[in-house]
Amino acid sequence: MRNQTKFFLTGLLVLIIAFANFSCSQASPDKLKCELIPREGNPLISFRILLHIGSVNDPAGKEGLCALTLSMMASGGSQSLTYKEIQKKFYPMATYIGLSVEKEMSVFTGTVHADNLEKYYAIFKDVLLDPGFREDDFTRIKTNQLNFLERTLVSNMDEQFGKEILNLLMYEGQPYGHHEAGTLESLAKLTLADIRAFYAEHFLQGNITIGIIGGYPSDFPDKVMEDFSALPEGHTPPISLPEQRMPRGIEIVIAEKNTPATAMSMGFPVSLSKADDDYFALWIAVSHFGEHRQHLSLLFQKIREERGQNYGDYAYADHFIQGRRKFPAQNHCRQQQYFSIWIRPLKNSNRHFALRQALFELKKLVEEGIPEERFEMTRTYLLNYTRLYAQTLGEILGWKMDSRYYGYKDFLAEVQRRLPKITHEDVNRAIKKYLNYENIYIALITQDAKSFKNALVNNTPSPITYAGPKPEEILEEDKVYQVFPLDVKPENVRIAQATSFFQKTGVPEK
Amino acid sequence: MTKFISAVLSIFLLLSIPPMLQSSKIFPYDFKIEVLDNGLKVVSIPLDNPHIISHYIIIRSGSRNEIEPGKSGFAHFFEHMMFKGTKDMPKEAYDDFLTKLGAGTNGYTTDDYTCYFVVFAGRENLEEVIKTEADRFINLYYDEEMLKTEAPVIEGEYYASVSSPGRRLFETLRDKAYVKHSYKHTTLGYLKDILDMPNQYEYSQLFKKRFYAPDNTILLVAGDYDHDRLMEYVHRYYSGWEKSNYALVTPEEPPQTTAKRAHYDWPSKTLPQLVIGFHGPAYSDEKIDKAALDLLAETSFSRSSPLYQKLVIEEQKCLSFNASFADRRDPYLLTFNATLKDEEDLSYVEQEIFKELERLKKEPVSEELLAEIKSNLKYSFASALGTTDGIASVLAQYINLTTDPGTVNKLFDLFEKVTPEDIQNMCQKYFKKTNSTVVTLSGGNTK
Repeated sequence: MRNQTKFFLTGLLVLIIAFANFSCSQASPDKLKCELIPREGNPLISFRILLHIGSVNDPAGKEGLCALTLSMMASGGSQSLTYKEIQKKFYPMATYIGLSVEKEMSVFTGTVHADNLEKYYAIFKDVLLDPGFREDDFTRIKTNQLNFLERTLVSNMDEQFGKEILNLLMYEGQPYGHHEAGTLESLAKLTLADIRAFYAEHFLQGNITIGIIGGYPSDFPDKVMEDFSALPEGHTPPISLPEQRMPRGIEIVIAEKNTPATAMSMGFPVSLSKADDDYFALWIAVSHFGEHRQHLSLLFQKIREERGQNYGDYAYADHFIQGRRKFPAQNHCRQQQYFSIWIRPLKNSNRHFALRQALFELKKLVEEGIPEERFEMTRTYLLNYTRLYAQTLGEILGWKMDSRYYGYKDFLAEVQRRLPKITHEDVNRAIKKYLNYENIYIALITQDAKSFKNALVNNTPSPITYAGPKPEEILEEDKVYQVFPLDVKPENVRIAQATSFFQKTGVPEK
Repeated sequence: MTKFISAVLSIFLLLSIPPMLQSSKIFPYDFKIEVLDNGLKVVSIPLDNPHIISHYIIIRSGSRNEIEPGKSGFAHFFEHMMFKGTKDMPKEAYDDFLTKLGAGTNGYTTDDYTCYFVVFAGRENLEEVIKTEADRFINLYYDEEMLKTEAPVIEGEYYASVSSPGRRLFETLRDKAYVKHSYKHTTLGYLKDILDMPNQYEYSQLFKKRFYAPDNTILLVAGDYDHDRLMEYVHRYYSGWEKSNYALVTPEEPPQTTAKRAHYDWPSKTLPQLVIGFHGPAYSDEKIDKAALDLLAETSFSRSSPLYQKLVIEEQKCLSFNASFADRRDPYLLTFNATLKDEEDLSYVEQEIFKELERLKKEPVSEELLAEIKSNLKYSFASALGTTDGIASVLAQYINLTTDPGTVNKLFDLFEKVTPEDIQNMCQKYFKKTNSTVVTLSGGNTK
């Protein structure tokens, strides 16, 4: 009998444990999911409330609605507290609610000291489950969003502006083809009723993964899951995206403004992501070609180090957002990806030369592949550098959540497992399969757009001059760069005033 | 093998458990300080955090050291030149070394110091990092041609920032507010000086001799290593570095006696901005002035303050609003900065800031509010110490000011002593209209 009781209790314990973990391994797409990483004794707790919705869920004509709705929670009040009261309460805890909205994924973030967990979570929960959606918050946040598009992005952030133009161009007429913040036209029409409707439609259990990491009490996750279970069951079906449109030849959009420096971003869609086997091989190639803000980048060496033209030049195998330090941010996963090159602003007189240089080097990469010694070095680099990716609690949790999206238990562990197996041939094969230099979208922000267009179309030579003497091999290379022919057709170059962007969806006509 | 790698990664991913806030000291980690005969100060913080080591070299030279005309931006330019390698390890070999190490690495220049960091995994790499970095700082080599190639990169960096109205606003403020002191210019420097950098090879050698010397340098190491082993390497590789004995005398800024103003006309449509600067005190962990002003910035101008709530949340005149009283070695500016929606409100917001400062001269802040601020500062600081590199990067900011890592604990002890009366006294002492410089910026049609 005693043994039976013991057996029964053990069985009950197993059931309790199974039940406690059940919510994290939900098979139903309509219910909450979670990612829990306990760190006993750690004084901090970080949250990531991941939403599997983003700007692709903006209804036509209501672009920016997802970002505005979620901002009304991160930067607005709850039913019980005004935003002012929330700030007052958060202040002594030195905490906040962060938000990132991307194409198909959004995330609320927060970190708090264990001393304040209860107080913080009570507010965090209310803001998400019982948002205030007040008129004064709406006016303030909508105006901020409008001002960001009209007066900040276009006027003061040329590097980011270039990346956004590339996105407009690459996904013109498609669900990815508008800025997450929307357009001036769509934002002006949005109402509080739209916000409430979007929340009701998409704030569903199945759209949410609760992420918690740190020194939280053992019963805390159950409480959070119970609270969020108050949301309706259901999920937003993933958007069925049209096939990515490859550029036909070189397709250029120039945003014209008075500026002493030209910003450039270029790229094209690629049909792979971190989930694919080929990704690891392509990643080595692109890291060699343009690792973000590292000397390793070939483009950085050619454009900045050898010729001093600008501050840096990089390339990316998939959508990249910089997080802490220069490491990649997490939780912006998406179905469709693209390869891109980012040339930081350089003086207008060098714009044609630098553009030719980037495309010449891309051609060389495609045709000749990556040299053996660079392959070895880049692979070693990635093996070591990725060991630094997840340092903070938020980063550890973020990578773990992204791992799930891509179908891995732990993507960073997968990197350590996979990279040593990649061969030089794998990398060169991936280059041939996914990269090209003839069909590419190019976004430019510069002045005298017409004269630049003429120079591009006519392949006018674009020699470069230096303040001092240069080694012969650089000057010889320059002779090749400066006349490198680009097949730019006049009908493939569109010019629009910088101020006309983001008024409506798509690339403006003038 | 896979299991082994997973186990290593799991250990690597474990964070330290800082005993913060339970300790009476805000910076709860033990640190060791040793000074070599040549004056190189080593601050060592061995941690239980597995795997990661942060290696910081702090040169106590920034744009503050650019006291000669035509040399603005030179500390930052020299930071770029520091990546050019040595005769034993040329630039390409140095880059390859860091690449294979997979290190997170960079340099940055501030008003007061220049910092070079290498964050890497694996204590087995420590000796090679110390050896390579020592070689770089002692034996840096570049020729005139290399300097001429690098100089336009600074011009490119200037262009990368040229579309930022905030940068222009602060450049204008500093230029207007200061008469003599080198805080008059920003770390990037004046464009005319940037354009002349290709011609400054000889001066660059003088700059190196003066400031890139052990008696002007702190080596800060934190993370997973053995302290004795670290010091063995440091002695081995740094003992041959010769002292400079150069004593920099920064020009003393005369007291400002009349209110100043300037306007920057931005060439395109942008959000209007306002900054008000007052000459304030230098950083100190002994005198109450700066500590009291730090608390004032929080009580009266942070996101929870009544003025912020009024201007940003209720009236919605401003998109952002803050006060910044940065820590500097010499007396620096106390600034109030706002980004507005409508150009017509610039003078209103300016008046509101002055009005609030006048009120604070007469009415002490409440004890309750002061307690909330002290709580905020403690939790903010504790959050920043969550990783090995968080600890090193935070400490680097303080260590440059006095060279003593203990200054953090002294400063927070001083915060505890600040009373509402202290804050009131400092308001009266520093926030005089005649001590102010107002700069506005606007462009295009704003609404």
